[in-house]
Amino acid sequence: MSVWFLRGIRRGIVTTRYPARPEPSTAALPTPPIFRTDLLTAELVEQLIAVCPSGALRREPTHLVYDVGACTACGRCYEIAGPAARPSGEIELSAVAREHLIKTIRIGEAGR
Amino acid sequence: MTLQASPPAVGGSLLAAELLRELAGFGTVREYGGTVIVHVPHARLPEAVRLALRCPGARFADLFGTDGPPLVLRTVLALDRDARYLVLQTPVESDTMPWLSDVVPAAFVEECELFEQFGLQPPEGHMLNRLMVAPVSAPHHPRLDAHEHPARDTHLPFIVEGQAFEFPVGPVRATAVESLYYGLVTSGEEVVDVYLHTWHKYRGIERRLRGQTPQQALFLVERGEGLSAASAAAAFAAAVESALGLDVPQEVRHARAVYIELERLYNHAQCAAALAQSTGLWIGQSQAELATELLLRLDAAVGGHRYLFGAVDVARSPRPPDISALRDLLPAAYAELCRVMDGLLSTNAFLDRVEATGIITPEQSAELGLVGPIARACGAPIDSRADHSASGLPLDLRPAVRDGGDCLARLLVRRAEVDQSKRLLDQLVDAPPLADCEPGPRRGWGLGVAESPRGEILAWVELDDNGRIARARIRTASARNWRAFDDAVRSQNVFTDVPIIEASFWLTVAGRVL
Repeated sequence: MSVWFLRGIRRGIVTTRYPARPEPSTAALPTPPIFRTDLLTAELVEQLIAVCPSGALRREPTHLVYDVGACTACGRCYEIAGPAARPSGEIELSAVAREHLIKTIRIGEAGR
Repeated sequence: MTLQASPPAVGGSLLAAELLRELAGFGTVREYGGTVIVHVPHARLPEAVRLALRCPGARFADLFGTDGPPLVLRTVLALDRDARYLVLQTPVESDTMPWLSDVVPAAFVEECELFEQFGLQPPEGHMLNRLMVAPVSAPHHPRLDAHEHPARDTHLPFIVEGQAFEFPVGPVRATAVESLYYGLVTSGEEVVDVYLHTWHKYRGIERRLRGQTPQQALFLVERGEGLSAASAAAAFAAAVESALGLDVPQEVRHARAVYIELERLYNHAQCAAALAQSTGLWIGQSQAELATELLLRLDAAVGGHRYLFGAVDVARSPRPPDISALRDLLPAAYAELCRVMDGLLSTNAFLDRVEATGIITPEQSAELGLVGPIARACGAPIDSRADHSASGLPLDLRPAVRDGGDCLARLLVRRAEVDQSKRLLDQLVDAPPLADCEPGPRRGWGLGVAESPRGEILAWVELDDNGRIARARIRTASARNWRAFDDAVRSQNVFTDVPIIEASFWLTVAGRVL
């Protein structure tokens, strides 16, 4: 019997202890943004909507509507938002209903 | 540079310089860096292609249309020994396409595409296969040109009769395997014929790229064939940079070279896992998947994304590679992959299944214009990293070549390329100076190339006056290499060999029908 077969059986490796413990390698993964409402201006919101390639952002009169289910965490919004957006670090994004993934974010004072 | 016309020679092979002089007899010849544009009339295109293929190292690379009016065809031929691409530009003068399959069989898939996307008819007596458009597609099915449905059905009928019967596979297949329908024609166990139906995967990506800015387009380009995201993005970015005459800093080209080699490593690991699975070696499969996972985590640590999405942009590097992470994590992931590949290659139960299975001959490889590990396993030293210095890597890179053309040869090529990629990454960690790259003038169009894990990816980009995409063509290695799958399956194989052959090709259906 091949040595690699026996070695494979013997090692009994699992690649992660998640979810029993946090998975360290997820620290390197791209994650969806979290927005700072006080820094969101109407102009910035329009720029964010224009740059989002997957249509995860749209505007309502006083709010930014953010569809986390459509976000690919591509990071384009971070480049133009400055301190108004940063990676959330959140990888547990599953939800039991689609609407739970849609966030309504109030645009800051400067945007109204 | 414009060349003067001279009388065409008859017979024999041609040097590239001779070829360009002779092509001047067809129309204007202009050279821009490594790309030569020749204007060829509709009626003389087959003749020009035949002439070009007499040049040693010349191979058919692509054929596509840009809607007009007039519709313009571009036939791309690679002159590998001369580090050039030849683009024959042909305004279409009728509703019948210039038929190239008789000159170069590799053109057949693109001819099917020209019919489906632009309604160009094959000459009377010639038939096509279905590629992107389903038989019952609605009129709004996204095409590059909104033509009327042709009155004449040009598709080959599939007739199975006599002692043979058809065994349908797909389009929904096991676990996470892509949508693909293939009809296996058999008389019992031996595969007599196979035909592929790939339209289930068609997403109209090239059509959707029109009107986008290059930065917007990268998002879709990366996802066209997700497992070649960095390579496709690098080829596309190179085409845009060429179109805009942009200077590409050395650190940007360095980053692309790192990402493309990382992409190659995880793809080769996935291929090993798929081969182990298809041969029923579950322990080998899990070991190869472990190596894949280590490599994907390496990608995330170095490039910010497991599949390297978003790592490449036009004329800049949005995420410079984390060299210290590369230095720290690469050795263990590489060692794991070597261990499992070497283990498979020393296991008789495995070798019995892959040896002399799914054979592609060197002649078939040349006729079908194959690229990447599949061509290199047929003894053809085609590698755009070496032939066209696509990534700015050291020019003494020698393609990993094996003979045999079977599943084993393809795995041996990939095994050698794992070592090669590791060596290249070790060099890139030390950041050797890359060859200088002079920007050309802004001209509105450009051709880009990258050597993906599956072989050469070509990108052609035309920009409008506002800098938006008027036409983008992405020709993946999968699009080229699927052409050989049916030949490989028919080469005296039985049913259970088919998954092994598919794993050894390690192509994507998504890449075939963008």
